Amino acid sequence: MIAGVARESRVVTALGRRALSVQFRRAQLLMPTFVLPLMLLAVIASGTSAGRDLRDFPEVSSYLGFVVAGTLLQGALLSGLTSGMALANDIEGGFFDRLLAAPVRRSSLVFGRLAGTLGLAVLQMAWFLLVALLFGASYPGGVLGALGAAALAVITAVGIGGLAIAIAIRTGSMSLMQSIFPFVFVLLFTAPAFFPRDLLTPTLRDLSAYNPLTYVVEGARGLLQGDASLGDPWIGLAAAVGLAAFATALAVLALRDRARRT
Amino acid sequence: MSGPASSSPPAVSVHGLERAFKGGIKAVDGLDLEVREGEVYGFLGPNGAGKTTTVRILVTLLKPTAGEARVAGFDVVSQADAVRRNIGVALQEAAIDPLMTGRELLRMQGALHGMKGAQARSRAEELLDRVGLTDAGGRRVGQYSGGMRRRLDLAMALVHRPKVLFLDEPTTGLDPTSRSALWREVRSLNDDGTTVFLTTQYLEEAEQLADRVGIIAGGSLVAEGTPAELKAHVGEPTLHVDLAPESDVAAARVALSAVGPLVDCQDDARVAIRAARGKATVPLAIRALDEAGIAVESVEVESPTLDDVFAAVTGSTLEGATQGASADQAEVPA
Ligand SMILES: Nc1ncnc2c1ncn2[C@@H]1O[C@H](COP(=O)(O)OP(=O)(O)O)[C@@H](O)[C@H]1O
Ligand SMILES: [Mg+2]
Repeated sequence: MIAGVARESRVVTALGRRALSVQFRRAQLLMPTFVLPLMLLAVIASGTSAGRDLRDFPEVSSYLGFVVAGTLLQGALLSGLTSGMALANDIEGGFFDRLLAAPVRRSSLVFGRLAGTLGLAVLQMAWFLLVALLFGASYPGGVLGALGAAALAVITAVGIGGLAIAIAIRTGSMSLMQSIFPFVFVLLFTAPAFFPRDLLTPTLRDLSAYNPLTYVVEGARGLLQGDASLGDPWIGLAAAVGLAAFATALAVLALRDRARRT
Repeated sequence: MSGPASSSPPAVSVHGLERAFKGGIKAVDGLDLEVREGEVYGFLGPNGAGKTTTVRILVTLLKPTAGEARVAGFDVVSQADAVRRNIGVALQEAAIDPLMTGRELLRMQGALHGMKGAQARSRAEELLDRVGLTDAGGRRVGQYSGGMRRRLDLAMALVHRPKVLFLDEPTTGLDPTSRSALWREVRSLNDDGTTVFLTTQYLEEAEQLADRVGIIAGGSLVAEGTPAELKAHVGEPTLHVDLAPESDVAAARVALSAVGPLVDCQDDARVAIRAARGKATVPLAIRALDEAGIAVESVEVESPTLDDVFAAVTGSTLEGATQGASADQAEVPA
């Protein structure tokens, strides 16, 4: 039993390491995960810092500091999605068959891929927080707050990764995964990623209440700003963990289902 | 071929195996076969015959729609994990991530088979050396030649020293040098006791490597036996004698008919006889002609090839065979 767990954890580690290192060798996946959110951050922060003068805008150290939580969330969406793409690529290229023919638990194949997502998200969040700091953002919540916010985003990346992996397993199609890309931004913009919930249009505001990412981004913002009135970290954590658990289960089921169908 | 222990189960046994795809195509249609431990089994058939589908079922990547298959004594459906522990697989399109290096891939494969870091690393070096990729081990596989990829793929299949090795068209598309290198490797693996199930479109490959050959067409076996048995079924070798110019052809025919039954020959300066004993017939024929005072220019023995076998059992040549060559035309019971 314990030997079995140790064995599977070696498998997960090896697959995670592989997923992560290959991600860094694929420029077309690296650009969106590490650069795109920062470009958006730069644009938003430079062009619309007027947002802070709007009525109802919460008191934060700077708009930049406010938006960073949205950048972390955007990063989580992108690393999750690219994990699904990388898996679809493995399926299309036949590499996934090699993994399927190995004597490992099917769930380890999912966990291995998600371990890669997790590693990617950790690097990504550290990078975003650092660059935003250089851009002039400040984190009144301190180091612990920043770590907490990064952790929320990383867990969310795993959740989004699980959803993307489930879709990749069910469709096995890289082009379909690519076509999902724009829809991911729906998740982002129906959450108060770049504006407080009060500033969203009424429809969006209603929608955002059902989007788990709303609570994640608010929680992360509360942590970064050291101000729980901006968002409750615990609710954020619950939303992130809930999403991750649900999505992982979905991915494992998708793989079981695929094995039964083939 | 090492002698199989009578107690051990067959390395592969397949009964009434079927696989239908959506749209009703039966890629495998009532397949029966058995591969003994220590054997090299050549699964020979044209494109679309059902070779890959069969292999994918045997390596647990695809489920049969009817029938059953056991590998290393385990059922491929209900005991898939045990099967996976005992097999090595090199699929048709050497499925290796072009962005990884050969060394990384081998180590990963080691981990997939439960090896710890240090063990996986040393096994990777061992195998890189075995397939002559030590120097290329640190390069990304995307830069490898076709032959190097296949060798790496083979090495990956060997990481855990599998009992049964499945190779799906391991040399298709390779140049002759790479092909014979791979053949050497397969032979040496078999010498070490590994059972090999190999699919191929090449007659020569099956003849060169296989202890027994199964010919598949339209999803089922149309003939099976050692290469020699299959060829013997089609007919005996023929001995052709080209006579020197101005020789007495009639006298040559008389002299040679004492050695073996005459075979019709288009060419006037040529006489042919059936040569049951193959090349051993050559000295007999030469002595007979010599005694009759007939000058010979050259002699050759032509053995039937697996191509002839294929033509006999399916009514079409292997090269010209199209998808779904009908098994109904078989004249040789499998
Ligand atoms: N996934 C699939 N869906 C539908 N038809 C398939 C599938 N895989 C193979 N086939 C069909 O099954 C037949 C046998 O294919 P295959 O096993 O690949 O033959 P071989 O490996 O001998 O070339 C072919 O007619 C092929 O088109
Ligand atoms: Mg094939």
